[in-house]
Amino acid sequence: MSATLSLGARSLREAIRQPDALFMTMFIPVFFLVVNTGQAAEVFPSDSTGFLEGQGYGAFQLPITLLLAASFGMAALFLVEEIEGGYFDKLRAMPIPRSSMVMGRLVAEAVKGVVLSSIIVLLSLPFGITIASGPLGFVLIILLATLWGVVYAGFMQLIALKTRSAAATNSGGLIFFPLLFLTPNFVPRDMLAEPMEVAATLNPVTYLMEALRSLILTDLDWSKVLPGFAVVAVLGAIMLLLNVRMIRTYD
Amino acid sequence: MEDLREPAVRAERLVKHYDGKEGTVEAVRGVDLAIQTGEIFGFLGPNGAGKSTTVRMLTTLLTITSGRAEVVGVDVASDPDEARRRIGVALQEAGLDPRQTGRELLTLHGQLYGFSQAEAKERAEELLELVELEEAADRVIKGYSGGMQRRLDLAAALVHEPEVLFLDEPTTGLDPASRLTIWEEVRRINGHGTTVFLTTQYLEEADQLCDRLAIIDDGLIVREGSPSELKAELSERRGGEETNLDDVFLDATGRSRDRAAGEVQEVGV
Repeated sequence: MSATLSLGARSLREAIRQPDALFMTMFIPVFFLVVNTGQAAEVFPSDSTGFLEGQGYGAFQLPITLLLAASFGMAALFLVEEIEGGYFDKLRAMPIPRSSMVMGRLVAEAVKGVVLSSIIVLLSLPFGITIASGPLGFVLIILLATLWGVVYAGFMQLIALKTRSAAATNSGGLIFFPLLFLTPNFVPRDMLAEPMEVAATLNPVTYLMEALRSLILTDLDWSKVLPGFAVVAVLGAIMLLLNVRMIRTYD
Repeated sequence: MEDLREPAVRAERLVKHYDGKEGTVEAVRGVDLAIQTGEIFGFLGPNGAGKSTTVRMLTTLLTITSGRAEVVGVDVASDPDEARRRIGVALQEAGLDPRQTGRELLTLHGQLYGFSQAEAKERAEELLELVELEEAADRVIKGYSGGMQRRLDLAAALVHEPEVLFLDEPTTGLDPASRLTIWEEVRRINGHGTTVFLTTQYLEEADQLCDRLAIIDDGLIVREGSPSELKAELSERRGGEETNLDDVFLDATGRSRDRAAGEVQEVGV
């Protein structure tokens, strides 16, 4: 555990020393929030659009912003840089648990996730977005967005460990990216055209988005929130298992 | 008299095969080594001969296809963590974290070897002084020169006072002054009792530093002995002609000087 924490602290220092990467992690999701809200707010006015629960369209868009921000973690790219530069082998030559080499970065991703998600939600409050589920809802939003960021970063680390190439890791990210958009990100799922509704229903990210949306728009409703946490629990368990297996057989 | 001490490094019929695009690649085909405690042992060979693959197997970084290897009596395959505690490793092209400072990197390594934070900081100070990087200690490593990075890499490999230090081409790409500094460090470390296993492409380096050396070619050891023994043996075969380590290398690997150019280099220091 101490090796994981030491390596996690190092990864945090690494992130702080790369502020441009942190800026892009914030900028692009917030840009999408502004653009999407600007384009669709008049189509879905808050006083006559039932699914907005009395809030503006920005509140409906906030979950995709949080999920996007959580999916822009740099852990895998820093890892592949370390593999290409040889430092990863230096760590492998030490008597530390193999899993700490991937878990350390995920711990750092979790800390970054809490900070970035909190900033995004707090920044949205002055623009009329409220967290209808209250302070507990706020905590659950941050927790869920952060856990998704850790799971996503873990899958990206798998690509990095498998390919050992920055280019391949970048491309690998593009395979996962459409999952964020095969979701009810503009309207609720029941308003999607049928093929899209089926795709969204099969897509686990949909349940994360719906959980976050329910926490923002309505009172705490565990029947909407728990499926989101179940998705990160299942995907997280798979991600951890695969990461630990990959690092133990890394040659 | 026979030396009954446990070798610091022992390899028996060490083999490594890779699955390549064009079938199985036999990178190492049965290497036997016995390196005594306190030696500086040189491991030479042309590019692709199996030097780094052998080192990576001995340092637990690569699985062993067959055969066995021990460092300080510890089997590297069955007890890799114990082997890792006994060895220090500085691999080809100083592999360092460019976003940390020298001090942070050495402190982190101390913590990863189980030191408390205070102990790790103290050890980092000692090592920074040892490799004369105190002034650059709080600068990020990205800004270090090649020579400074190698010295820091060496310091990082010494954090836990290893019994055996593996140096994989520690001076490749360095200017002559930096190379001499590394040589001095290696001698100093060895003077404190650390066994040094050194791979190099520079024959002069092997001649200057090593008590004994082995030449590997095409995955097999083709010569082994002290530099003077190897030169004397070749000289004898050539009817008393004066020979140097270049000649030994070329003779051992069956290469002409033209063919060897670019594979093995001489250093002018």
